Amino acid sequence: MEKRLIKKETLAGIAKKMAGDFLVWAPVKKEDNVLFEPLKKDVEPFFAYLNSKNAPKNVFFPHTETMMKYTRTEKGMAFSQDESKADEAVLFGVRPCDAHSFLLLDMLFNQEKYKDDYYVAKRQKTTVISLACAQPPYATCFCTSVDGEPVSADGADILLTDLGSNYLAEFITPKGEKLIKYFGETKADAAAETKKNEIIAKAREAIKSKIPAHEVKPILDNNFEHPFWATIHGKCLACGTCTYLCPTCHCFDISDEVKGSDGVRIRSWDSCMFPLFTKETSGHNPRPSQKERWRQRTMHKFKYYVDNFKAISCVGCGRCVMYCPVNIDIRKIIQDISKL
Amino acid sequence: MQNPYIPIPVKVDKIITEVDTKDIKTFRFTFVNKGDEEKYKYIPGQFGELSIYGKGESPIGIASSPTQKGYVEFTVQKAGVLTTALHEMEEGALMGIRGPLGNSWPLEYLEGKNIVIVGGGFAFTTLRSLINYMIHEDNRKRFGKITIIYGARTPGLLLYKDELAQWAKRSDLNLNVTVDKGDANWKGKEGFVPNVCKEVAPSAENSVVVICGPPVMIRFTLPVFFDLGFSKENIITSLEMRMKCGIGKCGRCNVGSKYVCKDGPVFSLAELDKLTKEY
Repeated sequence: MEKRLIKKETLAGIAKKMAGDFLVWAPVKKEDNVLFEPLKKDVEPFFAYLNSKNAPKNVFFPHTETMMKYTRTEKGMAFSQDESKADEAVLFGVRPCDAHSFLLLDMLFNQEKYKDDYYVAKRQKTTVISLACAQPPYATCFCTSVDGEPVSADGADILLTDLGSNYLAEFITPKGEKLIKYFGETKADAAAETKKNEIIAKAREAIKSKIPAHEVKPILDNNFEHPFWATIHGKCLACGTCTYLCPTCHCFDISDEVKGSDGVRIRSWDSCMFPLFTKETSGHNPRPSQKERWRQRTMHKFKYYVDNFKAISCVGCGRCVMYCPVNIDIRKIIQDISKL
Repeated sequence: MQNPYIPIPVKVDKIITEVDTKDIKTFRFTFVNKGDEEKYKYIPGQFGELSIYGKGESPIGIASSPTQKGYVEFTVQKAGVLTTALHEMEEGALMGIRGPLGNSWPLEYLEGKNIVIVGGGFAFTTLRSLINYMIHEDNRKRFGKITIIYGARTPGLLLYKDELAQWAKRSDLNLNVTVDKGDANWKGKEGFVPNVCKEVAPSAENSVVVICGPPVMIRFTLPVFFDLGFSKENIITSLEMRMKCGIGKCGRCNVGSKYVCKDGPVFSLAELDKLTKEY
């Protein structure tokens, strides 16, 4: 594997240089938030960030995207264009938990039988550069409980690790190697390797928040009906913030919009927290209250995804914990389930 | 491979108003592009997403049988935005269908067995597909006795009246049509589906029940078949859920770990017993 050392202060320049050649998504300061946005000429990327407020899943699975276009004819609206295309892009500097989420989303969107062309096209054209968490940013981080690591190349084509005054750049995949020319000529030495290993151990140690994510699977298998499910949702506002910020939530709605003679079919993020999500035309709703919706969210991540893909659909980023307006904490829910 | 979200263009070739309340119609679609019919190769029990640009999509069971060549039919009740728009369409209009989607009635399992079809009201559509498939001259000998028990609230609400009349003349199937309450012209049975099942009392020997209908009908009919000795493996039904993508991605039609759109809609009672009761 190719490894390079780059001076820390050169990283923003590398991102900007790439942005001259193709679309680069990088962390950018927006008021008091950091968000992944297409890097424009006059904007500085901000790599000294903790984690972005939104998960970067929108690069592959946008909040709203056009699926196809159609136009009016004498006999009704007729198809005009498939919008499942993508341009060459780089997602620069994502945290390992978020890069891990791409592998989980791949399992769903890139299945053998039905490929989701919109997601797959963007994913194939985009190189992911992860920025390891040498110092895990939040007390709410729990990646090590859900098959993650603060310094991990999972889901990354290139992994950057902060060694102090340098970044170690590791070119994990052939896709990553194609960008090697942007990272200078300084090969990484054995000392860099030793330093990285120290950082890996220290970073892992720094993740204090732990949940029994694997242990709850057999309990969830047998407790779909349990009084516990009535104890989570009481204060839930059904605002959907948890699903909106979640790197692995993938549910969506499809809708049509017409303006004049032209129209688009679009898909937008949807949420299992919303009452209308499963409500049928007849009025029947198989998940009639917030209780069933919370059970669905918990089961989906810690049981159904494991049944279908042998992977927990949570990366331990802690966003849902930090931003829930009523402090519902998935870590506590999993702890409580483990004691049922 | 083709983008599974892009509908196949079809022409509304024929619209048949099925019921006297005029809110259930059968739409016959022909394929606009040569070769698409071959691509839309379906099995009874599968469904499609009916797609009208500017209005949306709706998952509907396929009502025709693959033995009926040159077109595909869906019987649709006017209920929401898409189905209302569909009911306002005229013959000759263009729209789209996606699919075929979902699993199907388990034809291989049904082969060589006696088949009891039980339908109630508007839920008779994919059962009609199965019946027309089984009684086709190429297929009839692959199945044993065929018994059909079909009920509606009134004679005017029975679907496929011409076909029912034709089936009634056949000696290779036992057709029992019933209505909750007849009218002046009704000469057939009166009574609820569970009671008619009890009267007809098909033998459970080497037999499978395929049942679709309103939940209340199913609830009262199942005990009749359990009493007749049918096992849960041999009672097969089809579920409905709200759907969008139809291909197991959008995340709303799951019952436990199974997606009704992709892993269903057809399940045996034995399979349903293993799932959570969230439908």
